[in-house]
Amino acid sequence: MPVDQHQAGKILNVEDLHKSFGSLEVIKGVGFDMDYQERLVLMGPSGSGKSTLVRCLNWIEPPTSGRVTFDGVLVDPKSTDIRRLREDIGMVFQQFNVFPHLTALQNVALGPVVVKKGNRTAAEAEAMELLAKVGLSHRAAYKPGQMSGGEQQRVAIARALAMHPKLMLFDEPTSSIDIELIHEVLEVMVKLADEGMTMIVVTHEMGFAREVADRVIFMDQGLIIESGTPKELFDHPQQERTQSFLSKVLMA
Amino acid sequence: MLKWSIIWENLPFLLAGAGTTLALTVVSMVFATAAGLLVGLLNMYGGKVVGAITRLYIEVVRGTPALLIILLVYYALPIVGINLPQFPAAAVSLAACYAAYIAEVFRAAVESIPKGQSEAAFSLGMSRLQALRFVILPQTFRRVLPPLANEFAALIKDTSLVAFISMQDLLFKAKIIGARTYNPMSPLIGAAIIYLLMTTPVMQWSRNLEKRVD
Ligand SMILES: Nc1ncnc2c1ncn2[C@@H]1O[C@H](COP(=O)(O)OP(=O)(O)O)[C@@H](O)[C@H]1O
Ligand SMILES: [Mg+2]
Repeated sequence: MPVDQHQAGKILNVEDLHKSFGSLEVIKGVGFDMDYQERLVLMGPSGSGKSTLVRCLNWIEPPTSGRVTFDGVLVDPKSTDIRRLREDIGMVFQQFNVFPHLTALQNVALGPVVVKKGNRTAAEAEAMELLAKVGLSHRAAYKPGQMSGGEQQRVAIARALAMHPKLMLFDEPTSSIDIELIHEVLEVMVKLADEGMTMIVVTHEMGFAREVADRVIFMDQGLIIESGTPKELFDHPQQERTQSFLSKVLMA
Repeated sequence: MLKWSIIWENLPFLLAGAGTTLALTVVSMVFATAAGLLVGLLNMYGGKVVGAITRLYIEVVRGTPALLIILLVYYALPIVGINLPQFPAAAVSLAACYAAYIAEVFRAAVESIPKGQSEAAFSLGMSRLQALRFVILPQTFRRVLPPLANEFAALIKDTSLVAFISMQDLLFKAKIIGARTYNPMSPLIGAAIIYLLMTTPVMQWSRNLEKRVD
C-alpha cells in the first residue's frame, strides 16, 4: 500500500492531530513525520501549542483526534498499551520535575526498578553510568534540593535515558535554568544527538538548533507554519510570521 | 471544693482510665489513618461514582456529631445482627469518624504536590498506583504529619465521648470518683491535668514539625 511505503522507516508519523482543552482548540491539525535518528527542533511563540503537541506524542495529553504512528505501530488508546509506549519515549520537562525525595541515583534508577521490574543493583549500576555520562557522578547521593537547575535537568535527562527510549522529547529544557548553566545541559543534549538519539527539542536556542537539528519546525497558533533545515528556516524564512518571530528571538 | 488528696488517693484508678483512653486513641488512630488514606485516594482517583460516594461519606461524617456516630454504632449495629463489645465498637466509630477528616488531610497533601511530579512518573511508564506509591505519597509524608498529630490530639479528647456507652475511660473514672466522694470537682481537675499531659506534647510536636516543613 502506498501509505505504508511512505511510512516505511519512520519512527514517528503524525497526521491531522487536534487537541482541545474544553472548547479551546490548541492544536488545529498538525502533521509531520520523523526518521530514526532524526533531530527535530520545534520553535514558535509562547502559547502556540509546542508543549501540548509534544505532550500529545506520549499521551500525557491525549489528543482529541488524529493519527500517531510510533515505531511502526498506530497508537490507538483503546488497544495500545500507553504505559508501554511511554517507556519508549523519554521526556524532559521545562521544570525538570525531578523527584525531590530521592537522590540523583534513586531518581535515575526508579524507572527501571519500578516499571521494568529490574534488579535494583543492576539498575543502580547503570544509573551510575548514566550520571557519569551527564557529568554528575559526584552528585549521585545528592537530593534535588541540593543541586543547581542545570544539575537537576541533567538528572532528569539521565532518568529518561535509563528507560532506553527510542525517542526523546525535550520541552524547553533550558528555559528555567540560569544562563551561565545552560551550556551544561546543551552539551549533554549535543552528545546524545552525536550518539544517534532520535529527538524532538522545543527550544529557542538558535546555536543548538543550527548545530544539531536536521530540521526545524516553526509553529504558530496550533499549526505548523513552515519547516526546513536550520539554514533554510533561519536564513531564508518564507513566511512572514516566521520572519517576525525570528527577529524577536534574535533581538532577545 | 478542690481536694488534692482525693486526686492523689485515686490516682491509680484515674491512670487506669487514662490507659484505656490512650489505648482507644492509638487503636482508633491507626484504623482512622488507614481508612482515611483509602477514602482520600478513592475520592481522588476512584472515578465519578466512587468519588461521589466517598465525598458523601466525608461530608456526612464531618457534619455529624462524633457522639451520634458512637451511639449509632453501639445501639444500631446489634439490630442488624452485629454485636460489638464496647472497645471495638468505640474504636470503630471513632475511626469511622476521624477517617473522614484524615481523608481530607491526605487529599490536600496529594493535591499540593505539583502536577509535574505525576507527569514525570507517567512519562517513565508508571501506572497511577506506582506513581502514587513511589512518587506522590512519599512526598506527602512530611506534609501530613503535622495535621495528623493535630487529629491525634483531638482524638485523645474525643475518646471521652465513650463515657456515653459506659466505657471506663479517664473521664468516666473521674465521674465515678466524684460520685463516690461527693466531690465531683477534684477528680475532674485531676482528669483535666492528665488529658493536658497527653495532648500538649503531641500538639507541641505537631508545631515543631510544621516549622520544619516551612
Ligand atoms: N491543561 C490545559 N488546560 C487548558 N488550556 C491549556 C492547557 N495546557 C495548555 N493550554 C493552552 O493551550 C495553549 C498552548 O499552550 P502550550 O502548548 O503550553 O504552548 P507553548 O508550549 O507553545 O507555549 C495556550 O493557550 C495554553 O493556555
Ligand atoms: Mg511550552
